Amino acid sequence: MRTSHERGIAEVTITVESTIKFPYKRSLGPVIGPFMTALAEQRFIAIRSGSRVICPPLEWDPETAAELPRDFVDVGPAGTVCTWSWVSRPTEQHPLDRPFAFALIKLDGADTALTHVVDVESIDQMSTGMRVAPRWRAERLGHITDVEAFVPGEEAITVNGGVPGEPVTMMSYDASITYKIPVSDNTIKAHEATAQGRLVGLKCPVCERIYARDRGFCPIDTVELTDDHEVELPQRGVVTSYTIITPVQYPGQTETEPFSRVMVLIDEIDVVMMYQPLVDVPVEDVRIGMRVAVVWASEAEKADAGRPGNLVGWMPTGEPDNTDPSLANRIM
Amino acid sequence: MSTRPVAIVGIGQTNHKSKRWDVSLGGLVREAAFRALEDAEMEWSDIDAVVLGKAPDLFEGIMKPELYLSDALGATGKPMFRVHTAGSVGGTTGIVASHLVAAGRHKRVLAVGYQKQSEGNAQFALGSGQGASMGAGGAFAPYMRGYIHRSGAPEDIGPMVAVKDRQNALKNPYAHLKIENISIEQVKASPMMWDPIRYLESCPSSDGACAVVLTDEEGGKAAAAAGRTPAWVLATAVRSEPFQFPGRDPVRPAGAVDCATDVYRQAGITNPREQLDCAELYVPFSWYEPMWLEAHLIAEEGQGWKMVEAGDTALTGSFPVNMSGGVLSSNPIGASGLLRFAEAALQVRGMAGEHQVEEANVAVAQAYGAAAQYYAMWVVANSLDPFGS
Ligand SMILES: [Zn+2]
Repeated sequence: MRTSHERGIAEVTITVESTIKFPYKRSLGPVIGPFMTALAEQRFIAIRSGSRVICPPLEWDPETAAELPRDFVDVGPAGTVCTWSWVSRPTEQHPLDRPFAFALIKLDGADTALTHVVDVESIDQMSTGMRVAPRWRAERLGHITDVEAFVPGEEAITVNGGVPGEPVTMMSYDASITYKIPVSDNTIKAHEATAQGRLVGLKCPVCERIYARDRGFCPIDTVELTDDHEVELPQRGVVTSYTIITPVQYPGQTETEPFSRVMVLIDEIDVVMMYQPLVDVPVEDVRIGMRVAVVWASEAEKADAGRPGNLVGWMPTGEPDNTDPSLANRIM
Repeated sequence: MSTRPVAIVGIGQTNHKSKRWDVSLGGLVREAAFRALEDAEMEWSDIDAVVLGKAPDLFEGIMKPELYLSDALGATGKPMFRVHTAGSVGGTTGIVASHLVAAGRHKRVLAVGYQKQSEGNAQFALGSGQGASMGAGGAFAPYMRGYIHRSGAPEDIGPMVAVKDRQNALKNPYAHLKIENISIEQVKASPMMWDPIRYLESCPSSDGACAVVLTDEEGGKAAAAAGRTPAWVLATAVRSEPFQFPGRDPVRPAGAVDCATDVYRQAGITNPREQLDCAELYVPFSWYEPMWLEAHLIAEEGQGWKMVEAGDTALTGSFPVNMSGGVLSSNPIGASGLLRFAEAALQVRGMAGEHQVEEANVAVAQAYGAAAQYYAMWVVANSLDPFGS
């Protein structure tokens, strides 16, 4: 997570930029699988649907949903541009690192169009109705990007022959999205408070429930909560419930060993902070009734831009456990 | 309800597995839809609208799958609706489809729920793509410990549920987990994943889909006349509540109690335990069976675990629960709620095969989602007036 300040003309908006990414898989099934297999062999196949030839092929008639017989037919490799759109400023997620066109290309012999890329030097070289042919990649995986791009002309640019390999049945898809979300005033105030080593909340003027400083509203009374409702919270409490999580490994997972998250009922007031981390407590020592206090980030940790916040977690105070049975298993 | 009667005349589901890499996503949902259409003796062209439910898009990384799957599900030129209510989505999908018929807007509606968990990772998705995801098990573990503490239930109750549901799954040809000779000792010996929940007390990750065809009174009566008993939807209810506020009780959530109260009132049920013949509840972790028996007013508060202990919730018990094997045996998340709703309908239609409950005339189905904050329920029966009012 990274915080950036973007100055507009009228106001200052703080946004947080986040990136999430994941290597998804796709099982291709009995029709797209053979299509991808053919791409690896530098061929295009289509499927017959009544009197039409559909490319890329589908398992079903797109209008009636009727299952199609697996009647494949070779099409292309050259085709005609039906329509196109010029991408003048490609991003890193685009297939080419220079300006190009996305185009709907009807391959010779097909009745439907394939979406792909046309690689020309300038928009002036693009026109609807132009003839294009594929430029194949040397390294082919059975993926739509095995065609690096289409180029003007009638002749496919083939590489390394068309050696049939194993049938392609799966596809990997590395999805990534980076987005910016504006940060609410309450969230900024919450960060400012923790940076000062203060634990604060917002108290609903109607029901007097206390919420985290960044919540900004009471969901019971649908009341907006602002600076006027800020209350200082004690920095000590008691563990009323917990969970020990066995981490499942996935891309982006940061944990390898079992870790705990605890519910902390704050002293003197009726607030439970849910799923809080404990600092330096082995999971076998986590228990209900444990007295704990806030641990703030060190100056060095605060300087680490990758840190999500200044509240590191909670640490035992060394006081005797609170054995009040009415507190046990308080969750919210 | 002052709306038109709704009949369930077609039910289909896939063979659920950890990886259905033999089919595409379109092929997966069509496998369930074909079976539902065949059961309903209908063609794609007979369907007027499609309602699709699944867990959030981060699970498979396909944005707006309702658009991507429109032609696969025969929705070209027809209304296609997407429903979003996290884990309860399959239940809500069935309810939205029933409302389209009950309101008189459409005559024949196809409801479909699916998940292909093998294409992504549930812990990743539930953790919003960040590290240190607690997953559903980690998030719900304190709720279950709270239930155990409050009810004083013995520790074997969770393992008993885990065994019972897997025994039921052995009778369900579509179920994912098939654990022959599963025992309480085996469950207790399995690794503790999210204390107090062990590995064998948790649901699997599944690929699968479920489809249901709903139609109006005329369609239902025509099916009945042809010897294909419909399931009549007596009542539907949904509720939600905020994920957190001071004093919220996630062990007996107000949303669950309100949802149950509403659905029974509409169905004319004053004593759920007596008037219902069986229940299919969303139980992804073993302890949710007694929790939900109580929160959905089938058992008195603090008494749900006694139904489990006495064997009442077994397939041959006095109040069978999760006859299909439940979420504990198959969990294609977006389909899981609809599978509960479909199983209740299969039971009252007398079409549940080896896991059929004798004389199942009225059944309830339930699904829940997110931080145990979304609830969906329906009550189905093999007649429009099962209590002779
Ligand atoms: Zn309030």
